[in-house]
Amino acid sequence: MAVCTGCSLLCEDIEVALDGGKMGKTRNLCRKGLGHFKSIYLDRARPAVDGKEAGIDEAIDKAAGILKNAKKPLIFGWSNSTLDAQKAGLELARELGAVVDDTSSICQGWIVEKVLRKEIPTCTLDDVRNYADVSIFWGSDPSSSHPRHLSRFSYYPRGEKRQRGYEEDRTAITIDVRKSPTADISDEYYRVLPGGDAGLVEAMISVLDGKIPRVEDKKKLISLVTNMKKSRFGVIFPGLGMVYSLKGRKELLDALVEKLNQSSRYSVIPMVGHYNMRGFNQTLLDQTGFINRVSFQDGVESGPEHSVMEAAKTCDAALVIGSDPVSSLPAAVARRLAGMPVVAVDPHRNLTTDVARVVIPSAASGLEAGGSALRMDGVEIKFDGVVESERMTDLEILARIKEGL
Amino acid sequence: MAGDEMRIVTFRDIFQSEAQEMGRYSQEYQDLSAVVRLDQLDMKRLGLKDGQRVAVEGDSGTVVVTARTSDESPHPGVALMPNSPWSNRLVPEETDESRIPEFKNLKGRIVATEEKVKPISELLEELKG
Amino acid sequence: MVNAMEIYQLTPKTNCKKCGLPTCMAFAVALLGREKNIEDCTPLVDEPKYEAKLKKLQEVMEPIMGASETGLIVHPEKCYGCGNCVVACPVNVANDPRGSAIGLGPKSDKAILVVEDGVVKCLNMEECRRFGPNKIMCNACTATCPSKAIEFV
Repeated sequence: MAVCTGCSLLCEDIEVALDGGKMGKTRNLCRKGLGHFKSIYLDRARPAVDGKEAGIDEAIDKAAGILKNAKKPLIFGWSNSTLDAQKAGLELARELGAVVDDTSSICQGWIVEKVLRKEIPTCTLDDVRNYADVSIFWGSDPSSSHPRHLSRFSYYPRGEKRQRGYEEDRTAITIDVRKSPTADISDEYYRVLPGGDAGLVEAMISVLDGKIPRVEDKKKLISLVTNMKKSRFGVIFPGLGMVYSLKGRKELLDALVEKLNQSSRYSVIPMVGHYNMRGFNQTLLDQTGFINRVSFQDGVESGPEHSVMEAAKTCDAALVIGSDPVSSLPAAVARRLAGMPVVAVDPHRNLTTDVARVVIPSAASGLEAGGSALRMDGVEIKFDGVVESERMTDLEILARIKEGL
Repeated sequence: MAGDEMRIVTFRDIFQSEAQEMGRYSQEYQDLSAVVRLDQLDMKRLGLKDGQRVAVEGDSGTVVVTARTSDESPHPGVALMPNSPWSNRLVPEETDESRIPEFKNLKGRIVATEEKVKPISELLEELKG
Repeated sequence: MVNAMEIYQLTPKTNCKKCGLPTCMAFAVALLGREKNIEDCTPLVDEPKYEAKLKKLQEVMEPIMGASETGLIVHPEKCYGCGNCVVACPVNVANDPRGSAIGLGPKSDKAILVVEDGVVKCLNMEECRRFGPNKIMCNACTATCPSKAIEFV
């Protein structure tokens, strides 16, 4: 059995037939996971310096040189690397006095932080499967982003206290701006307008307080909240829809969960995207007391000025590992990154490797290298590689760069 | 015309994610990414046909993509774009104090155009400046 | 999915009875139920004036002819490989308590539905509750599909 590192569900039941060392027929991989597995045969990164093909040793030397000479290097990415590689990367960051930020800074970070600091209750996905009777997909569409979420944990499987099947035992509620594929198969779909989540939370709290909510369709909202309240084990799965809509009113999530927990039991599991983002946030928290946006320039400090959005303006070099910020950040920020010396460590060619001064190809973790990671619910999952590879792992590359300093 | 202003929301599409896993430079990734999905009421109001090219004009930039009729309606006034380097041209660098970019509540106008969708290599050259 | 009326429009509508049925409408219904084949309508196949109708009929019937014994059709290009159908299928649950029943990939040889190379595949169709004389109209696999990748004829 192999583990799929295509998303933060880390599915452990993947069967892969090997045909002369090459991947053949697979079982239990979803469409997205299959794309992830196939990717090891497509569009791989090659070692390069200044746009020209180079030897791996030369690339590593050059990378060490760029980082050593930078006054304020940024190390960004992290969430597609194993726990051990993340630890090795943090040693390098300390030595360099680097600014460190990961993809959580532009997505689920603030909700993950509340969970890791135990400010809001959480549970494991195994608890969800065994006990949950209400699953709320809020601004999340797992059918598209984490395709096996509903079948493995949150809606369809039988569990210890959920023996009778989803029709009788579970309720799925989707809150979204669009009738997503997940909304399509949920018991209830509640449509929210872009930016309307804060108003919806406030209205829900009113209903829970026994007041009349100030929304257009009062009946629909009251019925929704009544169904939420009936739950004996409810779970909210916030997606990027909630993350961006509530980012200016973060306290509302705590208020709603607290209110729901007065009459029922509710947990929150953020719908982390990359397979080990939660692992990085946990590792950094354990080491520094912060989950992201940390500077090692002068001791340890954290703050919005060390977010990737600000660091792209103030840093003078970047090491990007297992991430493609030139594709995923706003164009103006991507332009800033493209304007500084970048060292890209990645299994694949992407926009970031194409702007990088130095490209160091890595083994794809989970596919060509083993290690361990934290699933979206914090459970540690260990894995081996599926096929042999001569490429270096992130761990080895980061250690070599550190030696090269 | 303020009446033509749409809310642009980025989202994840599984077929686009699959194509992204297999490489950012494929035609398939472009075809599945450089898209805006509109409610049929908006398609009608704006006089657009499924598959027609449109310019999405935001405060931070403009991008040419293909208009499609959404099968996730109703969402009049809300335009859906798969998250990609194309949609990221509309996302401003300025943020509130959270320092989280506004990926999901952008303002923009959608107008028919004869211009072509820019391939990712061209977007990259423009980023390099 | 095509219906009997649409199929009827593509028959000769002469009620010639050469197929063994009294009317072209009855033939359309039988075709939809896969009790008859297009070739059983000999005028349609032999007479050149029906060429366009024949071509269109073959087109609309193609997905149906590919359906399994139970009428199940999978559209692999729409499938997410999410496994909702695999886990919700009551026969899978009964036959495979340690696999699909608890959300994992099937561990039993008797599973009806399994995800292979990212899309769902039907095996052991004779186990399906829609199969055989005592069939019941179970729709656990189609009702749980987020992309309408599975349907019944």
